[in-house]
Amino acid sequence: MSAPDKDRESRGGPKFLDASRSSFEIWKLAFETLFWSRGFSVLPVSIPPLPSFPRKVVHHLYVRRSTPKIPTETDARSLFVTNVPVDSTEAHLRSLVTSLVGSGRFESATFEDERKDANNPSPVAAAQPASAAILLRVHGRKRKREEEEEEREKETLARIPNTWTRPLRRSGGTAVVLLADEKSVEQVLKAIAKAHKTKKYPTWGLTGGSATGKVPPVPPLGPAWLRAHNRLSYPDRAALQASVDAFSALFADREREAAEIAKRLRNEPDEDGFVTVTRGARTAPASQSEAEEARRRMLEKERKRKEELANFYRFQLRERRKEEQAELLKRFEDDRKKLETMRSKKGKFVPET
Amino acid sequence: MNSNPAKRRKLDHAQDDAEVALAAAASAGISRSTTFILEAEELLDSVCPDYDAAFAGADDLLHRIKGFIEGIEAHDQLQIAEAAAKLEKKHKIKVPFPDPRPDGTSNYKVAFAAPSKFNVVGSYVFKTMVKTQTNPAIDMVVVIPETVLQEKDYLDMRYFYKRAYYLAVIAAVLKRELGTEGQFSYEYLHGNPLCPVLVFQPNGPATSTTESKSRKSQDFRIRILPSAPEGFFPAAKLHLGASLIRKVREGESLSEATPFYNSTITAESTFFPYLKVLRQAEKKSKGFRKACVLGRIWLQQRGFRSDVAHGGFGQFEWALVLALLLQGGDKKGQAALSASLSSTQLFKAMIQFLSVTNFSEKAYIFGSAKTDLDSHIESGPILYDAARQLNFAFKMGFWSAALLHQHAKWTRSLLADNADDQFTPTFILKADVPSHSFDLIAHLDPKKASDQAGLDSRGPVWRLGSRVYRILKTALADNDMGERARVIHVKMSAYAPWAITDIPKRETALLEIGILFDPLRMARTVDRGPVAGPSAEQQQECARFRKFWGEKAELRRFEGDDARETLVWSSTTPFALCEEIVRYILGRHLKVGKELTVYGGRLPALLSLKPADTAVFNVTRKAFDVFERDIRDLDDLPLRVRQIAPVCPELRHASVSLPELDPTKSWRRPLECVISFEASGKWPESLIAIQRTKIAFLIMIGSLLEKSKPGDVRTHVGLEDSAYDDENLAFLDVLYENGPAFRLRVHSDLEESLLQRQSKNKMSEQWKRQRAATLLATFKRLYVNLPLHNQYMTTCATRFPVLSPTIRLVKHWFNAHKLSCHFTDEFIELVVLRVFLSPHPWEAPTSPSTGFTRVLAFLAHWDWRSDPLILDTSGEMTAVDRSAITTRLDAWRKIDPHMNHTVLFVATAQESSGTAWTTLDGHPKPPKVAAARMTSLAKTASRLIKDQGVGLDVRTLFVPSLKEYDVLIHLNKKVLKSTLTTYPDESADTASDPDAQQSKFKNLSIHAGQPPLPLVQHPADALFKRLDAVYSSGGPLLFFRGSGSEDTTIGAVWNPRMLARTFRVSLPTAYKPASAASIEAGKKRKASGGEVEEESGDEEGGEEEMVEVDREAILAEIARIGGEVIEKIEVKGSS
Repeated sequence: MSAPDKDRESRGGPKFLDASRSSFEIWKLAFETLFWSRGFSVLPVSIPPLPSFPRKVVHHLYVRRSTPKIPTETDARSLFVTNVPVDSTEAHLRSLVTSLVGSGRFESATFEDERKDANNPSPVAAAQPASAAILLRVHGRKRKREEEEEEREKETLARIPNTWTRPLRRSGGTAVVLLADEKSVEQVLKAIAKAHKTKKYPTWGLTGGSATGKVPPVPPLGPAWLRAHNRLSYPDRAALQASVDAFSALFADREREAAEIAKRLRNEPDEDGFVTVTRGARTAPASQSEAEEARRRMLEKERKRKEELANFYRFQLRERRKEEQAELLKRFEDDRKKLETMRSKKGKFVPET
Repeated sequence: MNSNPAKRRKLDHAQDDAEVALAAAASAGISRSTTFILEAEELLDSVCPDYDAAFAGADDLLHRIKGFIEGIEAHDQLQIAEAAAKLEKKHKIKVPFPDPRPDGTSNYKVAFAAPSKFNVVGSYVFKTMVKTQTNPAIDMVVVIPETVLQEKDYLDMRYFYKRAYYLAVIAAVLKRELGTEGQFSYEYLHGNPLCPVLVFQPNGPATSTTESKSRKSQDFRIRILPSAPEGFFPAAKLHLGASLIRKVREGESLSEATPFYNSTITAESTFFPYLKVLRQAEKKSKGFRKACVLGRIWLQQRGFRSDVAHGGFGQFEWALVLALLLQGGDKKGQAALSASLSSTQLFKAMIQFLSVTNFSEKAYIFGSAKTDLDSHIESGPILYDAARQLNFAFKMGFWSAALLHQHAKWTRSLLADNADDQFTPTFILKADVPSHSFDLIAHLDPKKASDQAGLDSRGPVWRLGSRVYRILKTALADNDMGERARVIHVKMSAYAPWAITDIPKRETALLEIGILFDPLRMARTVDRGPVAGPSAEQQQECARFRKFWGEKAELRRFEGDDARETLVWSSTTPFALCEEIVRYILGRHLKVGKELTVYGGRLPALLSLKPADTAVFNVTRKAFDVFERDIRDLDDLPLRVRQIAPVCPELRHASVSLPELDPTKSWRRPLECVISFEASGKWPESLIAIQRTKIAFLIMIGSLLEKSKPGDVRTHVGLEDSAYDDENLAFLDVLYENGPAFRLRVHSDLEESLLQRQSKNKMSEQWKRQRAATLLATFKRLYVNLPLHNQYMTTCATRFPVLSPTIRLVKHWFNAHKLSCHFTDEFIELVVLRVFLSPHPWEAPTSPSTGFTRVLAFLAHWDWRSDPLILDTSGEMTAVDRSAITTRLDAWRKIDPHMNHTVLFVATAQESSGTAWTTLDGHPKPPKVAAARMTSLAKTASRLIKDQGVGLDVRTLFVPSLKEYDVLIHLNKKVLKSTLTTYPDESADTASDPDAQQSKFKNLSIHAGQPPLPLVQHPADALFKRLDAVYSSGGPLLFFRGSGSEDTTIGAVWNPRMLARTFRVSLPTAYKPASAASIEAGKKRKASGGEVEEESGDEEGGEEEMVEVDREAILAEIARIGGEVIEKIEVKGSS
């Protein structure tokens, strides 16, 4: 276990004690559930049986207060959930929370993979070479708010559409559930403890949450999901063209901008009087592939020059002969070694029967 | 190297280290350090039995036997029938008279006297036995004294009657003396029905007192061989042409030559002369003995033994040929081989000799013979030892000589092929399994075959066999008939030993006929015979032809040719043709019909492989050419098309099912191709931007195609299921209204250099470089290797006509066993190609069934943990190239000993990295578990093929065994079918609600008239891939499934390495709080050193809670993902 992990745990402990001092009964129960491991409490969820797998199954979620390494404002009203089922959606978690503490407490849920996505830059930004990206970030002109909005819109358009109506989560993955307020967090944890006591586990499914109508219905899995995938894999040609066009336009813009900045920087010393070293000639930045090509040509020339002089001097011949002899010896050694390994394996030298 | 040149020059004359070592190696007899020699030496060491242990007590026993025999009382001449009856009455022992048995009235007299000479001969005294021999025998020769024989005994089997009686007397005495120490039986010496011998199988040493009954018998046997005194019979009378059996039946007398009988009599008195010859050779040449052992193994692996039934060429004949060659067998009296040759050199020389000497067509004479032997070649192969006037190949048939010749040729070509592994095919592989060796195998029941009269003492089955061979040879393998078959082999079963109180049983076993096709001529349906001309010679020729072929021969005139006698056959496949001919011709000449059972054609029938399939593949190829032209004809493309290359099995004759050309089929695999353009500097210098540009290209090609061929072509740009923007994002599906569907991807050369740069960029993070390397591998595979592979395989399919059906059979096998989801098509194709490119110890297979069985044998034999599969696809791979590949594999194994990244290693001349076809997206394909399963399945199948022989029902090889899987996921075919057709305008709402899809009119679909979308992939594949992505690759479950839409049962096994573990924030899969039992189990596993996926630093005493894999929850998840597509999830251990 890493040090920050331990740290978090010790922080989690006292908080919980404060919350549950009110009733000894709950405290005792909570001790069993909440102190289960590393500050996690176990939330068993009963899975309704399906015709293809007609068994009553209990899936175990592990829940605790969210204490990420880099604290955020919403930590206090967030729950960290691990071991979420692979078919989880926000709606699933919403209905789970609703069945535990009633409706109106759930605000949103973020899944592991989505959080990673959020860190990813937009495709257009990612498409820029690293050096250009740095230039743009440091020296790019500041944009106005409206401009940024517009830019972001374009970037969304430039994204390639998803081919699945609903993602599958990583098996055993995590999610962060954002609740309405800090109190809700306490209540959820208490409700979990109570569920243990009564053995009445919440059911996995879409019972309560989607009824509110605010959120779009969750696309089903199974055959409809597969059909939808095929349909989404063949997007409308015009839309796709528009997306590609939007990308190209943005990409060209950024590239031009980066080039301009680079050109400007080449001539201008900065505040401290230094001139930034940038790639390329005075007129335009060189393409990297051209540079590589030149290097290859140079190496080729060198090689040719050397080749012409091979076997020219006597010492070269002598050395070559020596090398050949060494090679022969080495092969002999190799053969012997190979034999050695073959010998170590059974059955290599036994004729089949 | 040379640090001090001035000093070195002074020492110029002194040899440097390298030279010294080389000289040492040369003087040690390994001047050319080939692995073969070292391996052969090693083989010799390992097969040599420990004579002291294996033959404990043998010498002592031999002495005792000698004593007993010497003590037998001599008696005077008795009438033969009387003497036999007396023996039977007194000792209950039958005299093993050869056929025909002397009748009661014959007045031959028999007598007994102590042998004039005893000696032990054979491989026991020469120490040339090998461990793999079954039940080795020590041969003890007893020479019948001259007093009991007469000179004219060589006539009319008299010698053999006396010999049999002599043997029976010995048997009677020995049984009395040694009856409690072992078992006595008779057997024929080398399967020669004239020469019965006595066999004593001693009991093993009494090991324990508890079970005296089940005492193991010793590993060795002692055979007692009566023989004639040296030079007793006049050699001049025993020549090959002599007729020595004159009285066949009462009153009848024949004057037919009896070469086998004559040679047997001659051989009877040559035990001692040959013992001397071999002794001399052994003394003269150091390598002789070892060369004999090598020869024995070589022969044994090819099913040759001295027995008549096993070819009549065994260890003894090998040694004799070698000894005679060393002695000066050559006509000028000079030794053909130098005595200073090493054992492997002698072995190679022997192979050379056998491969150039076709002694079944021309007699080969050692020394100088006065007689003309070529006139006797009709009677059998001849290897004539002039000094002892014996044709010592007399036990061979034409077929065995031809097969030996063929095997020697194959081995010679292997030994000449310097780069390949020469050792294993030469000595280790078993090359006499009929289903591996012959394309057509037939069984003939000799009982029902019309009786073969004749004088050959080898019995009626032999006579039948040689007639069958002659007929088939004329029909299939003669020059006149265009050599449809390369090898025709006849095999008869060996005589079994029998009890000394009994008479030998009549042989009843089947006659086995094996035929190996000639690949070039096997498919011919019209045979052209001799020209029907006016000359007497031509007429005679035609008459002969008509006589042989009967009513099948008809006169035909060919364009630009004379009128000829012709045979027209009705079958289409090479196999059926051959069967038709065999049945016709044997039926005509031997009147056999139902007695003939033909095997070997059942495998291709399984997949209903037809010769016409090639045409379908060619039509597909033509359709591709049209497609290519259509694209090249587009004018408005911004870049010129450089190449459009096919990259799918359908376009290289290698798909299991034929390519689907019917556009109305709801599911057909599109034919995948890649398009590359002329080099251009306009590609953006960014991977992500390149991928978008590719989409733009595809859209453009699509609309241009639709415009140029309106109504004829539909195109759809499809999106790949890719997770990141820098991977290939899209493809173009081009659907021809009356032809196949193609899938096109764009190649950009800049992508490769960008990836290369990224993967080598030392500035960026490790994972980024790793990812770039993976992407680069994917890129190379699709755009570089696959087009090349396609091209190469297409060439090979024309070069080897049966390659394509073999590949399809093998792929079917992989499919049937649910392995194909783990193996790439290309890998399977290369494995099949391997038995064609290095087919040793045979030649490239000439029928799908031999190809298939040999592939299985190869897979069973391939130790992929340490051996790479190297295919010399260019034909000029050097040993250096090969060793470089091996070194690369060794390096992989060192980096990755648990084989998490690289498992199988397959390198070709074009693709020497070795992992192009066995890794996919950075994961091994197959993973170790699947590779191990492949090997074990192949082993089982091979064993079944070997054990059950040709009678095996080949369908059993394709029945998957489901009991090994922990979980079976059955897919619902009907629901799957309903997911096959989708339409572009279905909104998400209708998709989720099946009722909304129904139009107002039940009989009309709302999509009437609208063409459905193509399928990105089969929904079953799509589901499988999703499940695989979520749960496999180090996850809790490993799935198995055959490819294609037919396999609707997914097998899965739990990962045994995922055990109960301590709880952590990030879990690799769904876990539940562990029960006490599973914790215990986990600890035990760990304690026993099992590999467990857990960091050891994670343990922190007992306070951590344990969790275990929540199998039920995972299965419930799968059930939810699949929905109605999954019919049932079956869990092992519960029904």
